Order: sequence, then C-alpha cells, then structure tokens
Amino acid sequence: MMLEYLQTLCGLPGASGCEDAVRDYIRAEAAGVAEEIRTDPMGNLMIFRKGKKSIGKTVMLAAHMDEVGFIVKNITDEGMLKFGFVGGIDPRVVIGRRVRFGEVVGVVGIKAVHLTQAAERKTMPKTGELYIDIGAMSKSAAEDMVSLGDYGVFDSAYVPFGDGLIKARAIDDRLGCAVLLTLLKEQPPVDTWFCFTVQEEVGLRGALTAAYNVQPDYALVVEGTTAADLADVPAHKTVCRVRGGAVLPFMDGRTIYDQGVFELLRTAAEKRAVTWQTKHMVAGGTDAGVIHKSRAGVRVGAVAAPVRYIHSPACVASIEDMEGVLTIARAFLEDIEHV
Amino acid sequence: MHLDIVKTLTQLCEAAAVSGFEKHGATIAAELLTPYCDSVEIDAFGNVIGMRRCGKTPAKTVLLDAHLDQIGFLVTEVLDGGFLRFTQAGGVDPRMLLGCEVTVLADEALYGVISCMPPHLLKPGEQDKAVPMEEMLIDTGLIDAKSRIKLGTPIVFAEKVCQLAPDSITGKCLDDRAGIVAIAQAMEKLKDAALSVDTAVLISVQEETTSLGAGIGTWRIRPDYAIAVDVGHAKTPDAPSDKTYEYGGGVMIGMGPNMHTGFTKALIKTARAEQIDHQLEIMEGHSGTNAWAMQVAAYGTAQAILSMPLRYMHTPIESVKLSDINAVSNLLACFLKDFDGEVRI
Repeated sequence: MMLEYLQTLCGLPGASGCEDAVRDYIRAEAAGVAEEIRTDPMGNLMIFRKGKKSIGKTVMLAAHMDEVGFIVKNITDEGMLKFGFVGGIDPRVVIGRRVRFGEVVGVVGIKAVHLTQAAERKTMPKTGELYIDIGAMSKSAAEDMVSLGDYGVFDSAYVPFGDGLIKARAIDDRLGCAVLLTLLKEQPPVDTWFCFTVQEEVGLRGALTAAYNVQPDYALVVEGTTAADLADVPAHKTVCRVRGGAVLPFMDGRTIYDQGVFELLRTAAEKRAVTWQTKHMVAGGTDAGVIHKSRAGVRVGAVAAPVRYIHSPACVASIEDMEGVLTIARAFLEDIEHV
Repeated sequence: MHLDIVKTLTQLCEAAAVSGFEKHGATIAAELLTPYCDSVEIDAFGNVIGMRRCGKTPAKTVLLDAHLDQIGFLVTEVLDGGFLRFTQAGGVDPRMLLGCEVTVLADEALYGVISCMPPHLLKPGEQDKAVPMEEMLIDTGLIDAKSRIKLGTPIVFAEKVCQLAPDSITGKCLDDRAGIVAIAQAMEKLKDAALSVDTAVLISVQEETTSLGAGIGTWRIRPDYAIAVDVGHAKTPDAPSDKTYEYGGGVMIGMGPNMHTGFTKALIKTARAEQIDHQLEIMEGHSGTNAWAMQVAAYGTAQAILSMPLRYMHTPIESVKLSDINAVSNLLACFLKDFDGEVRI
C-alpha cells in the first residue's frame, strides 16, 4: 500500500509554497479515519488519529509535502519563461530537462552543440541565462499559458527499474508522506498527530508552526536523505548507501537527535531485523531542526530513506530501504512509551 | 486515411537507431514507406530505399533523403554497483546530460539515469564547471550489471515525444525523424498524382558520423537530382542570431556550393508560386548534412537541401513545429507534381 501511495504522491506537483495538490490528496485519504484535521495559515496539514492505546504523551510524526521546483519570474518578448529555483536545485541537472506548470509542459533549453565553442562546453551556463520554452511564439501567447508566480516542477514519471529501485521526482519527501499516510490508515499503535508540513525546502518553515500547533512531547521526522554511493565516490564520502537500509541519523547540520530516541530507533530496528545505517557526514537538515527547538523543546528522532540524485528530476531509492523506513516509523510508535 | 504526423513521429522516435545500430529503425521506416512506393528494400547497411516509378521512359530520378540514425551513446565499461561508463556516437554537449534518463539497448532494454554527484562532494567553484562525459556514469539500478550489459551496447535518450504549445513537438531524435515524416507526408500528398519523374526515397544510416548511408545509397540509386531533408538550427535566446532561423518560419532552402544553383532556384520558384513559407539558409561550404556526400556520389548529383528549423539539436528536448514539417512536405509535393526532369533556370 505504501508504494501505491508513493506512486500517487510522486505524481502530484507541490513546489514549496504550492503544496495544494498534495495536501488535498492526503486530506481526502484521511477524511474517513481521522479524529481531527487541522490546517494553519502556512498550509500545514495536521491530522490526529487515536491509536490502539493512549500513553498520555503527545506524539508527532512529520513529513514534508513540498518539493524543490521552479517559479516563473519573467516572460521574454519571444515567449520564453525566466524562472527562479524554489529550494535547492543543483543548476547542473536542469538543462535539457522537461518541466511542468500544471498542464503546460516546457523544456529548459540549450543551444545546439554545433553552435558552441569547445571552451564554452566546459563551463555551465549561469542560472540567470537559462530559460524555459513552452512552445509559445510570443510574450502574449506565453501569458495565455502561464502567469508570473506560477509554480512548476520537473516532469518526470515514477519508474520502477533495475533490481528493486524506483526513479521519480520528489521522493524527498513524498516517501515520508506515504509512510505517514500508511500508518494513519492502518491505525497507529498510540495516539498520533500526523503532520504533513509545507516549505521544508526553503528553510523548514512549515514545521515551525506545525510543532507550535500540535505541541508534541516526542517527534519523529520521516525523510529522504542524500546517498552519494556512486562508482567513483570513496566509501567515506558516500554519506549513506542505497540498499544499505533505513538511515538513522544521530546528528545533522541542524539537529543533534535525542539520544534516547536515537537509541530507541536503533534497538527497534535490530529487534525487528530491519537493516539500518547512519549518515557518515554531519550535514544537511530536516524539519527536526525547528521542531526540537519548539516551545520548551521536543525530543526528536529521524528515519530516512537513502536517495540518490535528491533534488533532481530523477531521484532514485530502493523499495527495500523504503519499506525499512516504514517498519522503523511504526516501531517508533510501538516503543515510544518506553523511551 | 491521412498520415497522423504526431503519432507517426512518436512511433519513429521510439524506434532506436543509434548511428551504426539502425537495423530495428530500418524496419519501422520501411513499413512507413511501403504504402507510397512500388518497392522498398533494406540494404546490408540498414539503408531503406523506396522507389516510386512514374511509368514513363526515359524518366529522370529525384532522390529524397532523410537520415535514419540518431545521436546516442555506447557502453565502454561496466562497473560494480550497476554503473556504466559511456562515450558518444554523434556530437553531444555534456552540459545537458546530468539527470538525464536513458535506455540501454541490451538484449532486454534497460532503464538508466545519468548520475549526478551531489553538490556537497564538489570543491568550491566546481559546480560552475561542466562534468566531462568520460567522468559521467549511468546508474542502471542493477546489482550485477556485468552479466546483463555487454561493452559496445548502444544507449539512447529515454524521453518520449510530447506536445508543447499546440503545433510544437518536443522529444529526442526529431533530427531527423522529422525529415522522414516530411518525406512520407509529401509522398502521401502525391499518392494519386501522375508524375513525370521517378521518385526514390533514401532513409539513410550513419549521417551523424560519416554520411556513409547517403554516399553508398546515392551511388546505388544514381539519381539525377537529390534533396536532403534534414533539420537546421532555429533561433533561441542563447544562440547566435546570424546562424539560426525562424522557428515556425517555414522550410529552410539551402544555398551555396553544396547545392545546385538552378535546382535550388527552381525549388524557390515553387515555394513563391505556391506561397509556401520559406527562408533561405546560406552555407558557404560544407552543409553539415548528407547533401555533402550525395552531391559527389558516382558522377555527381544536382543537389538541394530543405530543412526544418529545430531547437536544441542533439538533446532529448529537440523541438520542431508541425507547420514547418508541413511546409517541407508541401514544397516537395508541389515541386515534384510539376517537375518534368529538366531545370530551366
């Protein structure tokens, strides 16, 4: 079921600031089972479901709905779109790719190789020089198709490939959304607030107000995280490996994860024979970075799937790793009363 | 039944034919030509040659050429962890490859992604530098790629054809599948017309590397006239305006030493008379197309070149306007309908 949610969720657009399609889908899925559904002015979706038991503590699971994307900033006289990146997109992966603004498909153009000089081909074009071609022949024709401020995402399908891998856009963090949705629908072991946050990619903005709203004692962030396990990368630089199991970070660029929660997750994984790994590099950040500083502090943990080419049109993750993330997230709820 | 241009282009673009590996594509192209020709054959190199006789003797022969092959890649090394190294067949700008989806044409077609090193592993300033192709990897997602993928296996872009704004089509290898479709469309327009010349169609191999197919195909056919139907560079914001042509501006008619002046002027005359949108592409030397090889095949050929303005040549997002394909097929059909085999200009 989790993979079916993932496939549907990866098909929905949701650049930071425009998570509506993702939120609408999750809300509709939750409607029959939730005790309470809240939203806030930021656009976070917070869903409470009573668990199989109550432990007298407020438990929050968090996953972000938003993804990296594009925003239309200008339209040239020739009908080309000038754009900004919403969130951290590596400019090296956008040239030659397809993007989508609702039903409008565009391509990030580059002149033919025949019209370039050898020296030119060694330097990436400046981001400001890039443009999106939607096939419009003039500014007014383009304005009939898109408007300034429209949000776009990579146009990239969900493709199972290789030995048990998935390629899709926005696995970061629709995987987290799919895990939360699965646990919500199957009824969690304990009373849980399932928080689907907005604007993680532009600075953990949504989680800040969601945590204030829900007031958790414990929180688990479910994420996708960078895996750099490519053929040419030395082992100590790979951060984590696809097929290496669910990632349990003890620390990243924004958070030192609660020792008790980290140990709980580690033990929970081992008890259930789920392969796990940790991040070799203390870098990056998750919604935990703001959740754990909320109010008088929140004890946080995180579990993530290793994802190659994160923030690109073609993110790659392993089904087995993702299922491990689900098992550990469920185990967190099962074991949290003993932390 | 009318030829559905978008559907036909989609089918043609899905038939992989990297230069030197065109056999499968040749079968598809031969099927496309069959309704319009008296005979269609595939030679030992994969060239597809269709003949439509006019029934008169003697009759001159006009050859219409479009190339079958597409730029692509070849596997040069299979590494542990399911990664491949590769090289190019045909000219490619490495700056548009990272994050690109590809199809590895092993016995069973396999999906792959061109890997991109995460930014945190780059040294300061490295992000501004293009990654050379020899340092790139394809991720096949296989645990053991060595048992599944042989060295020398061809690779193509995976993107399927899709429509941008109405009338604008984007996808891989529209260079030169758009040319094949334009010729098929012209042949369809002429289906019931009585002609005074024999028409040969050559869907040629290996244009992107050496024009082998055009040279040997033209030698075999021995046409009196030959028209290379290919794509040219359309204007984009980053391209030099003096080397690019209007997208949607109609058929590009080539002029210069690679082209027979009288034959070319006859085509221009038809374009004017029939009010077909056209623009002149002046090339002072090598046209960079099959026309270069065809012109000097056997005793020589009166050569012309018609092109469609194409954006982003040799990328997975090549784009062309249907109106420009239509302008090419219109000009070919209008010219051949009235051509008696003599150029009188």
